[in-house]
Amino acid sequence: MKKIAITIFCFFLCAGFLYAQDDRTAALVSSEKNGWEYELKAGMNIGGASPLPLPVEIRSIDNYNPLLNGTLEGTVTHWWGNSKKWGTSVGLKLETKGMKTGATVKNYSMEIIDGGSRVAGYWTGFVHTKNHSGMLTVPVLANFRIAPRWTVKAGAYASYLIDKEFSGYVSDGYLREGTPIGQKLEFTDGKTATYNFDNNLRSFQWGFMAGASWKAFRHFSLNADLSWGMNDIFKKDFKTITFDLYPIYLNLGFGYQF
Amino acid sequence: MKLIKTSWLLFMSLMVSFTSCIKDEAPNAEADITACKTSSDILLRSPIITNERVTFYVKDWVDVTSQAPEFSLTEGATISPASGTARDFSTPQTYTVTSQDGKWKKTYTVEYLFNELLTEYHFENVKYYSYKDEESGQEKQFYQIFYNKRVDGNDMEWGSGNAGFMITNSSAPATDYPTCQAADGYKGKCVKLTTRSTGPFGVAFRAPIAAGNLFIGIFEVNMTNMAKSTHFGAPFTYEPKGLVGYYKYKAGDKYTDASNKEVAGKKDDFDIYAVFYEVTKDVQYLDGTNSLTSDRIVSIARLTDKKETNVWTRFVIPFVLKDGKSIDPVKLKNGQYNIAIVMSSSIDGAVFNGAVGSTLYVDEMRLFYESDK
Repeated sequence: MKKIAITIFCFFLCAGFLYAQDDRTAALVSSEKNGWEYELKAGMNIGGASPLPLPVEIRSIDNYNPLLNGTLEGTVTHWWGNSKKWGTSVGLKLETKGMKTGATVKNYSMEIIDGGSRVAGYWTGFVHTKNHSGMLTVPVLANFRIAPRWTVKAGAYASYLIDKEFSGYVSDGYLREGTPIGQKLEFTDGKTATYNFDNNLRSFQWGFMAGASWKAFRHFSLNADLSWGMNDIFKKDFKTITFDLYPIYLNLGFGYQF
Repeated sequence: MKLIKTSWLLFMSLMVSFTSCIKDEAPNAEADITACKTSSDILLRSPIITNERVTFYVKDWVDVTSQAPEFSLTEGATISPASGTARDFSTPQTYTVTSQDGKWKKTYTVEYLFNELLTEYHFENVKYYSYKDEESGQEKQFYQIFYNKRVDGNDMEWGSGNAGFMITNSSAPATDYPTCQAADGYKGKCVKLTTRSTGPFGVAFRAPIAAGNLFIGIFEVNMTNMAKSTHFGAPFTYEPKGLVGYYKYKAGDKYTDASNKEVAGKKDDFDIYAVFYEVTKDVQYLDGTNSLTSDRIVSIARLTDKKETNVWTRFVIPFVLKDGKSIDPVKLKNGQYNIAIVMSSSIDGAVFNGAVGSTLYVDEMRLFYESDK
């Protein structure tokens, strides 16, 4: 996380120098004439992995923290024809997606894990979840220039997860061991139990994206993209969480066009 | 900037709309008896409710052939036969509680017990705690429960911490539980109590060991304070005089504390004791935190002359009245006293100090009492 924040900071610093200099090489100028555009982008992901619709087990969402999820991306766009209205872009993005939530649940399938031992059952009470993963993403988008400074885009993305985290703890409630009529194990008076499903997260994610960018200056643009995951963040054989979770994130950021 | 502001607003409204689509609460899946009622003048004690059993301790003159207990249930659950139905409780009766959503059924055994407690213990009888595996449909056996046949045909079950051990070690064979039966008793079979390791889960809960224990009373898991899981005692209407029996003992090698750290030079020791205490509205039973210290205790019999031995050794422990305490004959008749006999393979097992491997065998135990008072 820290590393990514530092990288983003460096990027802004470099971009600032480049902007100040504004001496582009002949190669860049000629490739722009042929419809090629190169851009470096940095931003933040805000969102979460959410079930759609919210399952009946979730009674209330008590808190939500979007975390600081940095993104860094290099994009190549090719604008077609003379009008250069339509373009195709391919990017390579290093990003983190994450959130922290606290929810009150009822009869929620759960498996408390502690140092290798597991107790499965149905939890009623408070569940605190942290989902935070780093990934390499390749977005492929169609671009359309609706005005000289405005571009809208839509397409798909594929991500490969480099590190995965889905963990948390339960408190202020009770676990019915095995089934809803099993032995009642109460966790009250500040007693908590942790759980960890890191290894049950799938490594490959894909989904759709749509967004817009506004060219604020000659080289600077502001971007907003919504990415909507199409597959459950968990592996198929993982049954403890009974509903699918889809990553839905809004990316806000800046771009520097060379 | 405007773009960011607009997107942020859009996004937040999306999040808000997520939270606003919380579904209507599902019907309850649980099927508990949460409270029960029977005419209170027949009861010696508040009813004892565990996950699958309800016990009413009743006075001697009560006609149990027609009793109509009433039950409170998890909201929306139903019970069959209906609450308030008159039934013959000469033998324990079963009730089925069905959850509000109709998907779960739990069978409760409901028993009416007289206060006569058995006083001779041969430890020949065990049954298994078992339940049906949801996936395979097979009845799975877990651990052993010692019981004695009472004169009225009902079983008197001994309590043990096996239910707690099962939470983290459910796959262990019955003979690897802290409390189990063993061959080669003083006569026939005997009790074998072994201090076991509870694995990493137990360490996390600061309960790294489970001492083998056997006691008169029930065990109900309390995750907040494990020592409170043991509810010691059952009604006894005679003045206890002494506890006699046979034991064998071997201490484990490495003595550890609640943090699972070795305590060098310390040797484990076992414990056999009985406490006779007054039951009040506030103190219905003693537990692992106060079984020897409660101010309700009237007399204690505790074995002090102990040694490691691999031959059956006889013990005779007299009950000693606590200073300033006496037994009120009227209260005694009315069943206002409880007795608890407790055996443990590690003397400080209640606070999770002990040595894994400490093993205590007990057999042919007998409680002597004065019956003509």
